[in-house]
Amino acid sequence: MSIIQQVSTASLSDNWRTINIDALDPESSSNFDTTTLHPAFAPVSDAEIRNVGQQVKQLLRGGDAEGALRGALESAPYGGDAGVKEVHLQTVTEVLQSIKASDMTPMLQRIFKTEGGSDALDVLMKYLYKGMGASSTRALSRGSTLTPQSTGAGFSQMGGRPPANESSGSAMSVLLSWHEKVVDVAGLGCVGRCMTDWRKV
Amino acid sequence: MSQQSQSLRPYLQCVRSSLTSALCLSNFASQTSERHNVPEIEAQTSPEVLLNPLTVARNENERVLIEPSINSVRISIKIKQADEIEHILVHKFTRFLTQRAEAFFILRRKPVKGYDISFLITNFHTEEMLKHKLVDFIIQFMEEVDKEISEMKLFVSLQKYLVGDTALTLRIVECTGKICCGVVLDTDVETQPRGVQPKDGGRNK
Repeated sequence: MSIIQQVSTASLSDNWRTINIDALDPESSSNFDTTTLHPAFAPVSDAEIRNVGQQVKQLLRGGDAEGALRGALESAPYGGDAGVKEVHLQTVTEVLQSIKASDMTPMLQRIFKTEGGSDALDVLMKYLYKGMGASSTRALSRGSTLTPQSTGAGFSQMGGRPPANESSGSAMSVLLSWHEKVVDVAGLGCVGRCMTDWRKV
Repeated sequence: MSQQSQSLRPYLQCVRSSLTSALCLSNFASQTSERHNVPEIEAQTSPEVLLNPLTVARNENERVLIEPSINSVRISIKIKQADEIEHILVHKFTRFLTQRAEAFFILRRKPVKGYDISFLITNFHTEEMLKHKLVDFIIQFMEEVDKEISEMKLFVSLQKYLVGDTALTLRIVECTGKICCGVVLDTDVETQPRGVQPKDGGRNK
């Protein structure tokens, strides 16, 4: 009588209506290979990036925060895998957190004036967004593993809520104040280049 | 309150500059189907026109995801939820808004996974509306929604208080009434401890 009765269980289990056929077609625009749009990046190994991290920390301990920041930004591992990038993100975050708020703007202005300084600030901007994104995805994955608190009947449809964590708030506020200062020095174009650049950090 | 807005300001400022930068849209017809013009960030059919997504976070529970593409930007907001009541209030509030998405033009009917509310701005919106007003709207929404939720939370606690208060007052009136009448009618009210009295107070005995 109705359409639903004519569909057998076998055809329902195929679920062929939900298959994205564009993904199976090599000529389709959704399979466009974006790596052809930019030159290949030199691969970076885990040992190399740890070595860079050590050098940056050495500079930081020696009191040369500006040199440490520059060094960290200029050795960004575009060609590394996710683990390598994560290691370098830790290095950059450590440098950023060790610089006082009053030193931020003069240091950024000094870096911006030198040759290649604008590029360095673009890379810094990428790390600021990555830093903010990384901690929120960590929170997401942690939140999903938690079982929802029992609230009695009626509210089970909303799932679990990640627990409030105040320690991440201070790390975020450092990144936010850096972001504000980088925009002040390098302008909004910095954010735009961050979105469009294929060299992901 | 001033401490709150002190930490809120850089967050909103960061969202503002990121949004201003991301809202740089142009008309772009679909590459997969002829005579179609769809928001590329939703269709996800051409990887070369999608830009790197940006995340702005104030802490783990408050963040904004900006996903730009050539002709559309998707903005997803995670609203602060400090406890279970706020969680419920945010859920109800965003549900109320998304059911009326038609009236908001840029509101997405369904939030992106992991976020509470999403907006979708296309090049047609930026052509019709002023870009800085759109940015102002999002920022104002983020400011207002926190206030709204905490206000609603206060109302809920007030209601809770009032209900408790009324129930207690009624109970006292009921008990005193019975004690007065109990002298002549019923004596078991006085002998029973008040806390464990049945609701009808043994009236039917």
